[in-house]
Formats: sequence, structure tokens, C-alpha cells
Amino acid sequence: MQKGVCGGGRAGLALPGLENPELAEGGRDSESRGCTGVSCAYPIGRSVFISVVFHLITVVMEAPPVTMMPVTGGAINMMEYLLQGSVLDHSLESLIHRLRGLCDNMEPETFLDHEMVFLLKGQQASPFVLRARRSMDRAGSPWHLRYLGQPEMGDKNRHALVRNCVDIATSENLTDFLMEMGFRMDHEFVAKGHLFRKGIMKIVVYKIFRILVPGNTDSTEALSLSYLVELSVVAPAGQDMVSDDMRNFAEQLKPLVHLEKIDPKRLM
Amino acid sequence: MGVTCVSQMPVAEGKSVQQTVEILTRKLEMLGAEKQGTFSVDCETYHTAASTLGSQGQAGKLMYVMHNSEYPLSCFALFENGPCLIADTNFDVLMVKLKGFFQSAKASKIETRGTRYQYCDFLVKVGTVTMGPSARGISVEVEYCPCVVASDCWSLLLEFLQSFLGSHTPGAPAVFGNRHDAVYGPADTMVQYMELFNKIRKQQQVPVAGIR
Repeated sequence: MQKGVCGGGRAGLALPGLENPELAEGGRDSESRGCTGVSCAYPIGRSVFISVVFHLITVVMEAPPVTMMPVTGGAINMMEYLLQGSVLDHSLESLIHRLRGLCDNMEPETFLDHEMVFLLKGQQASPFVLRARRSMDRAGSPWHLRYLGQPEMGDKNRHALVRNCVDIATSENLTDFLMEMGFRMDHEFVAKGHLFRKGIMKIVVYKIFRILVPGNTDSTEALSLSYLVELSVVAPAGQDMVSDDMRNFAEQLKPLVHLEKIDPKRLM
Repeated sequence: MGVTCVSQMPVAEGKSVQQTVEILTRKLEMLGAEKQGTFSVDCETYHTAASTLGSQGQAGKLMYVMHNSEYPLSCFALFENGPCLIADTNFDVLMVKLKGFFQSAKASKIETRGTRYQYCDFLVKVGTVTMGPSARGISVEVEYCPCVVASDCWSLLLEFLQSFLGSHTPGAPAVFGNRHDAVYGPADTMVQYMELFNKIRKQQQVPVAGIR
């Protein structure tokens, strides 16, 4: 680690992260249900609407959400606002073309990342999840450790999925250190794709690859015939207008891709 | 960073911690060192909560989370005889989230604060080690900035240490150990501080009055 400097990888942005590989499984199933043509997230969209309604009926009221406590203990709570969708492989080029037009002018940026998900099991019912990500094509980038909280269930009108997020850049011995802390690796995957930026919004279009031999990132196979599209913003808690800006941007990507708020719990 | 040696200066006979620090700093200023602000190094201890222990069936480990004012945007997390992770300051926020699994022993927060001196290529930091309100000892850190390989400059460092520490000059730090030709890094300095803090924690309370 350089003296006093914290490396940020890609222009100070949080490295692209796939929050729930289970989502990709769901995505694949939706695609294979006979989705043809350019627009492809409709099957997901319709089923999400129904399950979100059921889920909200059963939600339990809890302590005030993190969004109402922007600053706790001297550190600002950062929230991740997320919209997700997917495109089939053959529609990728048109999507990239449109994104290049809509997003900030920058050199087309591709990435190849290896992500490992670690769990710490305690007496609590749900284990603590941490995601460790490293760049495979940019030597010398710091490793990226990410914690994602439970999605905030506050406002049903909010357009994006909101959850607490902590991003930490670390040195290369992260996996050894996590094992020493008691974490165990649950699963890993490789993500390969494109990165775009518009203001504070980050748009990532990538494909997930399953690692066939644990630890060997050379032997991978694609998980599905589609690319996952994610629109995300990391902002301090309490700034809900961010989700309006995200929805407006997502409107401009229709009908190439439908970006929606997809609750990861629905897939469990 | 250059090769660094962290050691403890015992309190002089019949003097307080503060007086000993003053004697040392006066010696340094007579040598020609320039005062260059202050420094601080602190260390918090965490241990695995009982709930996680049960499922793993192993003795609880102690994790130290340290900060060094020389690297204000970094946070160092280490296990004794284990890996040392260098992360950014968001790691402290993560430790708050992990409080169900790792409990902080609040009373054992230990830190050293003092003045930073520069003498040509050497950086000398003399600090008072405190636990809570009481002063427990004196830490002396000397860094030889141009060199990053321990075996190449240890004799020079030793000679410099002798010039102002006299008989209290320490031996070669354990971190130099077997890897004499390895590149020295900030993590090695933090390991030395951790060992120093642990030694001071085990010592009896300094018999003379602490800083008022």
C-alpha cells in the first residue's frame, strides 16, 4: 500500500460487484423460458412484481433503517442504490452502442475480475457475508472488500433497491487474513464485461463465469447465455432523489433492457 | 518506507515518564535534529466472540487494529504471528458491523503520541505510551529513510541509535528475523509496535506518577 494513499482501482469508483450470483441463476432460468427478441427482462419483471407484493405483505417492522441515520459513530453510512436487468448475448452490441452514446465520454473500459464470497457463521441465524474481489487484468490494483447489508424495506415507492454498503481497499493478503478471522469461502466466480459511467451512476454489463476447479481461474465456463446489466450509485444515506435519477436513466435504455428493482430475497 | 526500528526506552531512575522524554528530546535537539510536528500510533484489541468460538472449536484469537499517523488513510489489522492486512479507513466501519462476532476490549486501547524529529536521513519519533489516562512507558522509533533492505543498513541504524540512546540501545528487531534481504514495509513497523504494546501491557504499572 502506498504511503498515505488508498488505491481506488477504476478512477475512484467502487469496483463493479455482483451482489447476488443467485440472481444470475434466476436470470438464466428466465431466459430459457422462451424469451426471444431484443427485450429480455420482461419475464423477470412480471414475476418480480408479483413476488414483491407478497414479500411486502409479510415484511416485519424493524429498527429505523440505516437511511435515517446518515452518520453513526463518526463514519458516514454509505448506501448502494441498485437496478438490475439482463440482455441476451446477441443483443449486447446494441446495448453497448446505446450506452456509449448516453454515458460520459471515456475510453471504453473492460474488466476481468475474480470475486470470492466469504461467510462467517456465528450463533446468529444468518452468517456474515463479505465479498473479496481482485482484478485479473490490472496488475497492482488493490483488492476490494465489500460488505452489503440487508435491503432497506422503507419506501415502496423508491425506485431502486437500497442497502447499506461498506467498501474497503486492501492489500493482497486479504484471503489469508479473512481465513484467520474465521471466514470460510462459500463460492467464487469470474466476472468479465464493460464499465460505463454517467455522473455518479455506474453502469456495468458483464457475464458471469463459473470456476470449474476451485482456485483455478483459467478453467471457467459461462453461467448463462446473457449479460447482467447493473445500474448502481453509492451515495451517503438519506439521498433518495438518487433513485429518481436512476429511474430516468433506466427509461432511456428501454426497450433494449429493462432495469428494475429486484429483491434478492425473492430468489432464496 | 525505510527500515525502521521500534524500541522501548526505560524510564530514568527517579524521574517521571515526561521527564525522561524531555531528556531524550533534548539530546536529539543537541544532535541537530529538527522538530517536525507530532505523530501517533494506536492499537485496539478485538477477540472472537464466544458465539463464533463454539462452532469452530478453537481458542479465541486476538486481532489488533492499528492506525499510524504516518499513513493517515490506512488501517492495519493483524494477528500475532499471522498476516497483517493493510486496508483503508473504512475497515473501522466494517469492525463496527462485525461487533457481533468480534468484541473490542475497550479497556485495552493503547496508544503512543509524541514528537517527530528529522535528522538528515533519519526520522526519529519519541512518544509516550498511554493506556487510558495513565502513561505506561516510552516508545522510540527510528527510521532510516533511504534504505528498504534491513540487512543493508542495520549497522548504520545501530550506530545512530547508540549515539542518543546509549546503553538502552535495542538489539535487532524480530521482524528482521530470517528475511534479511526482503523489502521492508509499513506492516513490519506495525508488527514491531504491536509487540512493544503487548510488552508494555504486561509490565507493571510505571511506579512514578503518570502525566498529569
